[in-house]
Amino acid sequence: MRRAARAVLVVAVRGRRERGGPWGEAVLAEFDRTNGRWEALRWAAGGLRAVWHERRARVSGLPRAVRVQRAVAITAVLGLPASLVINQFALTGRYMPTTAMAPTVPVAGRFLLDKVGFRVTGIERGDIIEFPIPDVPDDHTLKRVVGLPGDTIECRDGRVYRDGTALDEPYLAGDPQISRTVDCGGPVTVPAGELYVLGDHRTVSRDSRQWGPIPQRSVYGRLLTVIWPLR
Amino acid sequence: MPRTSHSSPQTLRLFAALLGDPARWRYGYDLSRETGLASGTLYPILMRLSAQRLLDTDWEPSDEPGRPPRHTYRLTADGMALAQDRLAAAARKARGAAAFTPREA
Repeated sequence: MRRAARAVLVVAVRGRRERGGPWGEAVLAEFDRTNGRWEALRWAAGGLRAVWHERRARVSGLPRAVRVQRAVAITAVLGLPASLVINQFALTGRYMPTTAMAPTVPVAGRFLLDKVGFRVTGIERGDIIEFPIPDVPDDHTLKRVVGLPGDTIECRDGRVYRDGTALDEPYLAGDPQISRTVDCGGPVTVPAGELYVLGDHRTVSRDSRQWGPIPQRSVYGRLLTVIWPLR
Repeated sequence: MPRTSHSSPQTLRLFAALLGDPARWRYGYDLSRETGLASGTLYPILMRLSAQRLLDTDWEPSDEPGRPPRHTYRLTADGMALAQDRLAAAARKARGAAAFTPREA
């Protein structure tokens, strides 16, 4: 234990150099005076703090240009892997290849997809989610959640009804050529663990009207915001 | 109100220890034992005092062969004056706090 504590302190003080800074060497020289393993551990732990202070004093004495250069280099080295991890697991940019969510997400628009938030807050009605297309599982698609488990969804006269009440859907386009909802089939009650989804461009979108409710497990992310086009 | 420099309880403990025998060169480990300060508290204070020329430092060859030289510390004249000033101020403050009694309304 003493040997390990001493080894850590030596590495902290000297790194790859022959000798460390004077204060680090001072702490190191006193290490042998400590009695017992706990005192040695405490001495070494405090020594790390002392070394850190010494290092900070040395760095703040360096010319400004060198400090800025180092900060940029460290940011690049740490920031690149961090951003790769965030992009992979938390937040990513996406391209909208179809017109099925127009006008909310126009074709050729770009949006941010949040891959974590919905796992914490749960999915609500009106959320726009990404999931694999049931009959083309390699491709993902973006649709709006209209029904949660237990909701009964149907459409009559071009409007969507949830549990017999017509939905107010301000996000649809004004043009009924785009916003009329037809071909829902009979009323569908959403089973537990599934979601009823519709695209905002009702006349071109393929969604739960063809596929039926989709499994909640397959949800991949939730739309955070549209970033392109700017509005 | 701006804080007075070199007046933290830890620094005052170190001043008291160094003023105990101001002419003698002191070792870090012994100062740590005497003041009860851990090395991570003690050394940053020593660094600060030394950078402000309140503390003299020196290397002393070890008494036992094969051991590295030890770093030693002693207050400079400026350091001694400052230490006495800060300790006196702290004592005044402690007396003042003890003597304080609210006035009857």
